[in-house]
Amino acid sequence: MAALDWPEFVRSVFSQEAAFYLSVAVLVVGVVVAYGVWRWVHGFLARIGVPDAVEGTPFERTAQSLGTSTAGIIAQLAALFVYIGMVITALSVAQLLDVEFFWSRLTGYLPRLFIAALAIIVGLIAGDKAALVVSDRLRSIKLPEAGVLPELVKYSIFYIAALVALAQIGVATSALLILLGAYSFGLILLAGLAFKDLLAAGAAGVFLMLNQPYTIGDRVRIGDRQGVVQEIDMFVTHVEDEGTEFIIPNQRIFRDGVTRVRD
Amino acid sequence: MTELGELVEDLVTDVDAVFLFSPSGSYFKQFEEIDVDVVVVATENAVGAEQFVELPLEFTDVIGRVRFGLEGAHGQELVEDGDEILCISKVFDDEMDTVMRVSSTEFTQTGVYDLFVNSRAEPSVIRDVFEVAVELGKKGQKGKPVGALFVVGDAGKVMNKSRPLSYNPFEKSHVHVGDPIVNVMLKEFSRLDGAFVISDSGKIVSAYRYLEPSAEGVDIPKGLGARHMAAGAITRDTNATAIVLSESDGIVRAFKGGELILELDPEEY
Repeated sequence: MAALDWPEFVRSVFSQEAAFYLSVAVLVVGVVVAYGVWRWVHGFLARIGVPDAVEGTPFERTAQSLGTSTAGIIAQLAALFVYIGMVITALSVAQLLDVEFFWSRLTGYLPRLFIAALAIIVGLIAGDKAALVVSDRLRSIKLPEAGVLPELVKYSIFYIAALVALAQIGVATSALLILLGAYSFGLILLAGLAFKDLLAAGAAGVFLMLNQPYTIGDRVRIGDRQGVVQEIDMFVTHVEDEGTEFIIPNQRIFRDGVTRVRD
Repeated sequence: MTELGELVEDLVTDVDAVFLFSPSGSYFKQFEEIDVDVVVVATENAVGAEQFVELPLEFTDVIGRVRFGLEGAHGQELVEDGDEILCISKVFDDEMDTVMRVSSTEFTQTGVYDLFVNSRAEPSVIRDVFEVAVELGKKGQKGKPVGALFVVGDAGKVMNKSRPLSYNPFEKSHVHVGDPIVNVMLKEFSRLDGAFVISDSGKIVSAYRYLEPSAEGVDIPKGLGARHMAAGAITRDTNATAIVLSESDGIVRAFKGGELILELDPEEY
């Protein structure tokens, strides 16, 4: 590894003391660079609107109660990792550590650790945010059972975030991955089964909306039902006949065809 | 001062229910501790009251507000005939300043509540159309007073009982009332003659319709014009609700089942 020659290279160019001073200088530069990174990350996150996006999530609230914020934590984390990297560089320049061991293990490990921490934070926030959005959407449905859905979404995201983090720090995650695969397969299968008719009706509805083969007020016959069209929307068509209102799924209209009755 | 209190006491003794009109959360809390039926009447149930009547419009007129609240409570069977009701309401300021005692039998049912809640069209659609009509009545079209006729609900039947006067500007469009842009469109098209036809879910089906229901047996107050007669007649012939803005006196009127149900002066809103 080229990096291994660094301390030796410094020694061959400068004296032993110079190498020591250089490592001290690296430490000082590390502080400055870490501060710069902290400022830049903080500013960058603020500019892309992270503080607004995470507003109200439990993670942000916990951070607030500790006197900081999500953006602050991420910025501090980035600064910390940069600083640790600098310290290791300084130590290795001064040859105070077993250089070979540290260079090969820790430097390879540091970025991964950082990404793992980032994955955890992003996962926590995204999970809570998604749960909030879903429960907001479901607010009009006053059904206690609907409360399960946001939780399900939240923990699914947590699970994936944990998986990413574990994989980053090198824990064997193949068993968890298989579990995730089985879970998502089941979810897609169930969703496909559940939404099959809705999707078909929606696709037919788009055609009906665009082409309008019949409009409100027309007398039509669909299958064995005849009446006046009262309403057409994405999924269903309302046809009324003498006080009886048929609500017909749009894919039925497509399959059976429409007969327009003109007198 | 105690004498004054005694005099007013008559108002509050033996009431069966208290109606709070748009109360604040803390004001409503005070009443929870008292052993009396509390009904909240407001545009939205912000205080989470169990007994709640939704106002479709912010009635500035107290009588209209009380009447709607009472009819709503009647419709939901929150009160019975002969109940004595205390109404506490805001009139001038943002604070409760008016106490009124009414007997639920004193009001004849005018069907105002029925108009909104039990019409074919959704209550929010009727409310949106009302808002358009009121706004149009306030400002007119480019400053000039205009008239307009909206037929809401039962659109299929209404379309069969009317004919187009010209091309339908809303053909093949999927616009709904309540959308601010669509409301502007409606106001622009109000200079066209004829009626607007709006479906149960608020879709604007057509403008420029000439209504031709049979006007036989329609009894509307004398002095109203052809537009009102057409509105009354179409609601008698179909299950639609008609909302009319009068060009001559600028008043918004609602018809249902061939009868005049509600009169609103746009200037008061």
